[in-house]
Amino acid sequence: MEPIESIESLCPECLGKIDGIKYVEDGKVYIKKECPEHGSFTTLICEDVDHYLQMEECFDVNRSRARDSLTDIQKGCPFDCGLCPSHKQDTCLAVVEITDRCDMGCKYCFASSSMDKSLDPDMDTIRFMFETVKKCQNKPTCIQISGGEPTLRDDLAQIIRMGKEVGIDHIELNTNGCRIASDQDYFDSIASAGLDAIYLGFDGVSDDIYMQRTGKKLFDIKAEVINRCEKAGIGVVLVPLVAKNYNLHEVGKIIEFAGSRVPAVRGVHFQPVFYSGRAPSGREGRITILELLRQIEEQTGGQLKVENFTPSLMPHAHCGATCLAVIDNGGFLPLTNISLGAIKSASDVASKTKKSIMGRWKGSEKDNQDAQKEDTDKASCGDLIVKSSCCEKPLTQLTVKGSCCEKPIDEVIPKKNRLESGWADFIEKSMNSYLTISTMAFQDVWSYEKDRVENCCIHVVTRDGRFVPFCNYNMTDCDGRFLYRNAA
Amino acid sequence: MDLKITEQADNLLKDNGVRTEEILDIIKNAESGGSKLVSKDGNTCIAKGASENLTIYAVYSATELLDVYTHKMNILGITGGEIKPVEYDDESDWVCAKCNEPALERNVDMAYLGVTRPGPGIVCPKCGEMYVSAGMAKSTLKTAEAILEEKRA
Repeated sequence: MEPIESIESLCPECLGKIDGIKYVEDGKVYIKKECPEHGSFTTLICEDVDHYLQMEECFDVNRSRARDSLTDIQKGCPFDCGLCPSHKQDTCLAVVEITDRCDMGCKYCFASSSMDKSLDPDMDTIRFMFETVKKCQNKPTCIQISGGEPTLRDDLAQIIRMGKEVGIDHIELNTNGCRIASDQDYFDSIASAGLDAIYLGFDGVSDDIYMQRTGKKLFDIKAEVINRCEKAGIGVVLVPLVAKNYNLHEVGKIIEFAGSRVPAVRGVHFQPVFYSGRAPSGREGRITILELLRQIEEQTGGQLKVENFTPSLMPHAHCGATCLAVIDNGGFLPLTNISLGAIKSASDVASKTKKSIMGRWKGSEKDNQDAQKEDTDKASCGDLIVKSSCCEKPLTQLTVKGSCCEKPIDEVIPKKNRLESGWADFIEKSMNSYLTISTMAFQDVWSYEKDRVENCCIHVVTRDGRFVPFCNYNMTDCDGRFLYRNAA
Repeated sequence: MDLKITEQADNLLKDNGVRTEEILDIIKNAESGGSKLVSKDGNTCIAKGASENLTIYAVYSATELLDVYTHKMNILGITGGEIKPVEYDDESDWVCAKCNEPALERNVDMAYLGVTRPGPGIVCPKCGEMYVSAGMAKSTLKTAEAILEEKRA
């Protein structure tokens, strides 16, 4: 056993602050922590210390803090969330939950949502939450409307419209898709209210998977959501929860399906199961980021390799991994590779992540509208950001700087030179036909590291106008009692 | 040969990260060894040289450095492996000075950061020397390089 570093964590039994150690044994990385009252707990973090350290080496961001802290430090992290002055990272995505209710009754649910009689926040409360985001988050402001299942509310369109009125730049909707697939009028109303993207729960390409989690056949519903979003020009990100003994064997098929629906589908965002809220007893389903990436490599026949995933520009080197791939003759051509290492970046993590959320995950039609808008308000969101000496622009807007010409690509590259499968074709495909495959490993009470959460940039907005890092907000002890949710 | 380097040419050198001595060396080598393209009217030459991970081109007349461009891609060879006859007119506006042979517009395979694709090149059918035009390097290749480099960001 070879120690890497000491960490601050939580006791799974009592949620008390306890110390722990991160160490290597047989090449694997573990966290071991000890509660004076409840004994010691050991959790596997990564199967390969080399990969673990490589992710750290490749991770390099300049941080910016929130504009202002809203709470004081009293008991120390994670008990003073709001954000408190010790939090190191501004918000990149603010999650606004507009209901706790959900009719799906999933076996896994970090929010423990059910069709109880809990009261939804009223419009004034939601406006206050939006305004809090507008006030505290650096521009551009990004919100995910979540729950519960937000489409259970009949006034969702008004909520989205209100968000836009308040001045939120990007609004995405986290949904199971059922109402969108069955109620065209409802979908039309939220689309025309200004919805930017859909974050669609999508655990597999076979009904067998959905039956296991929900007892319902949902695949056709998911496919219909994509059809409708495609027509409306709203980008879709597929969001599979991934667990062993559940759908880990389908990750390759999910990526393949997503590739076949590009550009309507902009990304696949895998979420390895974490044991907050409601989950089957035992923790057999747990997988690490590396295990997931290895499965992706195997199941895509090596088209997307472990090395093609670089640390997401997220809070921490071990919170997520991202791969950007061009769809090329039906296959995937990854553009990212961890071996290329880190570069010094001029922009900070939250603004980069926002660019990613807003650009890569937004509908293509909206990209164009926003690209035009960008010219006037100089916002810096976009899709493939091409960094060169002097310009940082979305690829769709890229002009080629040279001695004599500064023209859109279309004019610079003559049609006759567009050799099929040549470099010009490669550029065209990179602009129009690509998929972001990413994963985010949320923390539960077993894997909790204070250092990670202090750098978190995904924050849930509470009804009384505070920001709580996502993992803290959903943190439960081993009996499912929340640290913040319901209490907040 | 004493070439004039205008302010504009000097800026091109800077933009491309090429030193003045470097470009003059490339031109000197081309002039002494004869490995260069000459325009059919005889007024303009293109010389090619390589520094670390960069292929550098100098376009010049007898008196002046006219243009400088570079690409990071590595030219691997003729697409398909050899120069086969084609039915259309593939003659370029350039002549290989060493072979006194009109150069042809042919596709060459170019690789960068693990991706290999063909693109139009200017090729001498005799000695097989391969060049890339200014237009191709400044637009297509530069953009493709930037896209592939984005993976670092």
